[in-house]
Amino acid sequence: MSFILEVRDLVKDYDGVHAVKGISFDITEGEIFSLLGPNGAGKTTTISVLSTLYKATSGDALIGGFSVKQQPQEVRKLIGVVPQELAIYDELTGRENLSFWGQMYDLAGNTLKKRIDEVLEQTGLTEKANQRVKTYSGGMKRRLNIGAGLLHKPKLLFMDEPTVGIDPQSRRAILDSVKELNRQGMTVLYTTHYMEEAQELSDRVGIIDHGELIALGTQEELTRQVGETESLVLHLGDTDVPETLAAAVRDIPGVLQANISDQSVTIISPAVEAVLPLAVVKANTLGYKIRTVDIQEPNLEAVFLKLTGRALRD
Amino acid sequence: MKKILTIVLKDTIIRFSSLSEWLFFLILPIIFTIVLAGGTGAPKDTRIILAVTDLAESPLSAQLINELENSDVVRPDVKELEKAEDDLKSRKVSTMLVIPEDFSLENLSSRELRIDFYQLPNSLDAIASEQAVQEVISKISSSVEIAQNSVALAEQVHPFSSERDRQAYFNTAMKQAQEEIKNAPQRMKVQLAATKAEIDYDPQANSSAGQLITWVFIPLIGISGMFAFERQKGTLRRVLVTPTVKSTYLIGTILGQVFWALVQMALLISFGILVMKLHWGQNIPALIVIMISSALSAAALGVMLGAFVKTEGQATGLSIMIGMVMALLGGCWYPIELFPKIVGTITKILPTRWAMQGLLDLVLRGQGMAAVLPEAGVLLAFAAVFLIIGIWRFKYE
Amino acid sequence: MRKLWIIGWKDLRLAFRDRSALIFMLLAPFLLTLGLGLISGRFSGSSSGFNSIPVVIVNQDEGQIGKELVKLFQSDNLADLLYVVVIDKAATAQAHVDNDKVAAAVVIPAGFTESIIPDANAMLTGQASGKIEQILVYSNPNRPTSAGVIQSIVKSFTQEVEKMRIAEQVAFSQMFVNGILTQNDMALIQQLVAKTQSENQKTKNLIVLNNQTTTAEAKDFDVLAYMAPGMALMFLMFTTSNGGRALLSEKNQGTLPRLLVSPTRSYQVLGGKVFGTFLTGTAQMLILIVSSGFLFNLRWGNPLAVLLLVIVAVFAAVGWGLLITAFAKTPGQVGTAGSALMLLFGILGGSFFSLSNFPTWFQMVSKITPNAWGLDGFTRLASGGTLADIVTPLCALLIMGVVLFAISIVVFNRRNVMRV
Repeated sequence: MSFILEVRDLVKDYDGVHAVKGISFDITEGEIFSLLGPNGAGKTTTISVLSTLYKATSGDALIGGFSVKQQPQEVRKLIGVVPQELAIYDELTGRENLSFWGQMYDLAGNTLKKRIDEVLEQTGLTEKANQRVKTYSGGMKRRLNIGAGLLHKPKLLFMDEPTVGIDPQSRRAILDSVKELNRQGMTVLYTTHYMEEAQELSDRVGIIDHGELIALGTQEELTRQVGETESLVLHLGDTDVPETLAAAVRDIPGVLQANISDQSVTIISPAVEAVLPLAVVKANTLGYKIRTVDIQEPNLEAVFLKLTGRALRD
Repeated sequence: MKKILTIVLKDTIIRFSSLSEWLFFLILPIIFTIVLAGGTGAPKDTRIILAVTDLAESPLSAQLINELENSDVVRPDVKELEKAEDDLKSRKVSTMLVIPEDFSLENLSSRELRIDFYQLPNSLDAIASEQAVQEVISKISSSVEIAQNSVALAEQVHPFSSERDRQAYFNTAMKQAQEEIKNAPQRMKVQLAATKAEIDYDPQANSSAGQLITWVFIPLIGISGMFAFERQKGTLRRVLVTPTVKSTYLIGTILGQVFWALVQMALLISFGILVMKLHWGQNIPALIVIMISSALSAAALGVMLGAFVKTEGQATGLSIMIGMVMALLGGCWYPIELFPKIVGTITKILPTRWAMQGLLDLVLRGQGMAAVLPEAGVLLAFAAVFLIIGIWRFKYE
Repeated sequence: MRKLWIIGWKDLRLAFRDRSALIFMLLAPFLLTLGLGLISGRFSGSSSGFNSIPVVIVNQDEGQIGKELVKLFQSDNLADLLYVVVIDKAATAQAHVDNDKVAAAVVIPAGFTESIIPDANAMLTGQASGKIEQILVYSNPNRPTSAGVIQSIVKSFTQEVEKMRIAEQVAFSQMFVNGILTQNDMALIQQLVAKTQSENQKTKNLIVLNNQTTTAEAKDFDVLAYMAPGMALMFLMFTTSNGGRALLSEKNQGTLPRLLVSPTRSYQVLGGKVFGTFLTGTAQMLILIVSSGFLFNLRWGNPLAVLLLVIVAVFAAVGWGLLITAFAKTPGQVGTAGSALMLLFGILGGSFFSLSNFPTWFQMVSKITPNAWGLDGFTRLASGGTLADIVTPLCALLIMGVVLFAISIVVFNRRNVMRV
């Protein structure tokens, strides 16, 4: 299997912001690769450069062998883009939208017509095809948004946070369709800040933070970094967790890290069962009641926490 | 190229999907054109309005008002005293005449009558009115004065034996006087000079041309909003990651709007020809040249503005404002000759000025291709400059 | 009540932070007023006031009457009104008119006096003495009013002369008819004729014009004093419909539902937003008034009256904005309808030109606009009026506002606009 995407030392600065600080990674044909990171990490910027919208400040990327810097036109023919915002026309019908975008990708005549019907089928929008997009539900709009990126049968599909702000049903539908597309041979670069999505979809994950790729590999490889440690999450209900409690918990032997987020303390330790009672005692001593307790297998969240000391969803 | 047509079609559907677009496309322009042309060209009475209050309602006052109606200078407008005073105060009229209760022939024969005449200070119209009224008044009293004079002179020679005799003499004298006055020859004749009109102006033609420019320029400048819209929506970015070349997108967007602008112009011109009976059609090629160059310059201006405008809302407001101001200063609403000379010179930097002159050359002055070529040239130059700046500063983000 | 204030002030602040709205609310009326002011030449200092009327006279008459006319033109009475030049050649005089240098040329033909004053014989026979000579007033079509003044002066003069002639005619013929004089009294006749002609008795004018120049401020009619309020009122309509647009887009954005699920009642929310629009409109008008007063040296008039007029005008405009909002479905519709209405009302209400030349029905229609009434009030105040003078427009605007509000509220309730 060849690399369909090769990124080499990609740097992007704009407006004085050092948005992408030199990242490198490859994507193999046929895989789903997730770029996971919190808001502002540089995911969208990276995709923008790779999709030839922005020019890289330095470094380059090869897509299907074509340079993003030197041969953007060739690259554009190979890639499909599903942007984060709904880049479709409300006043046009679903079919008219697809027709427009298809033509922007140089499709025409019967080929175009056929593709439109196929994509409508794929996205489950055949029935509503001749109604104006402004009458669609949020989920339907998202599906059309995806469909518009598929018309020309791209080799590599960029999906930028496609599930932000939609209902669970539609999200489920989108995740399933990504898997289906992949089954049919589509390579996908999928950015998200939802760990569960990265976990469910990806063959490999790149964790990005502050413009840098801080981890890269299969999920097993990554969680192995965290070692045998598990996460112990103590929820305190409706009180905010003070630093005092976190500090106290850190003193417990065996605790590698203790971080506060929302109304909970996340403890990373190789021996959570031993740590748990001690932590509860500490909390009670300080006058806090623990409402629920979670023990989590090592996951990407933990990886992120370990690497950055912050939660993914800060 | 087919892609350009696709873009044009997309923009057309979006633009005309709201019925309100028709408001700005046709309805408002037509309304403004009609109103500014002063209706559909019925000849207007341009005499100075003189407010008149008749407190006497006698044959003499009626005669006075009748004579005023025949005046070339003033047009009497009879109304109640309060209304007349009000009109004078609010400067709707510059002069007011109040005919007192005792204004009658009987009283005139026996004594002097006074009529109150009110005027606004420093008003040429008021002065002209006064002269006109004075003229009429002396005309009315003439017969009585003459009769009185007769009586006086006769008395010098041979005094009258009785009051009745005197009255009889007076009456016949007055009758003859009236007869003579009626048959009096004209001692003055007025001839209009061949002075070159300082303002070339026909309300119909100017209004049709001026409104054409105003309402076509506004949506074309509104192209700036289209870019803002697509930028906000993210569709602009999306187009840019397709194999479609940037220039194709720009050309498609601009050409689409220029096309509809030409359609709009054609419709408004048809209206001018059919309803207002204007001579738009006397040189079609020249007309087309001016239409296209005007539309291009406005569209280019829209592109240039598009580089600086952030939201669609901004663009709408800006395009109406800029469109109207440029139209106003370009002489589209009031003839450019009314402006002080220096303003007339400065406004040559506005494309609307040139567009208006070009249109007027055709519809008002009946000129041909040779006359409009210079203006078309300037307009195209504007278009080129605006376009260059616009593309250079175009923000795709 | 407090909530109303809070919401109102919030909206006022928001409105003034919206750059595009600011452009439209303040910059646009400003620029248009500026533009219109330029037309009227106000800024180049040339006043639309009154300058002497230039006229050139040629007297070819050898007799008395021609001289009298020239004397009349040169008299002190007309010194302020006219600028008179007497020359020899008629052709030159006409050339002056053709070249737009004077308002008119008055050419008194040779033999004019002779053609009027009959000799004694003609008096007896009652025949006209000879060919009729006419004074030519060669008028400049570019200066119709000025030329009209000159025509009137000449006409009055000829009328006067004619009257004298007829008076003599009638006096003598009546005497003959009545037998007071006979053909044998030739000597007496000649004596009388000589007497009347030499005394040059002018018959008394029986009707006297009592001229009263009003005490309105002797300032030139300020076109700007008409245009500035016209523009301000037109753009007021934009602002008030904008408020409605904001209301509907809050509905879509979600901040409206958020307000409605707070302990604030729906009428408070609506009232607050309306109040906010009202405050914005008033602020806009006042800013325009004060700044134009400074920059263009405009006198708007009695401050208290102006303030009151502004308040009711804004009230009426808000009413219209509410009406549009009540019937519209989307913020976009409100925006477009608002712009369209703003322009329509502008032209109907007289913001672009005075309505006095338009047919009555048109002026009737214009009365539905706040522009027409507002302009009426502002021009009165600008020409020195007081509160008492603007009672009618004030009441009209008040009633307009109340009626529009009432209708809007009914429609709002029917269409459940305030429910989400």
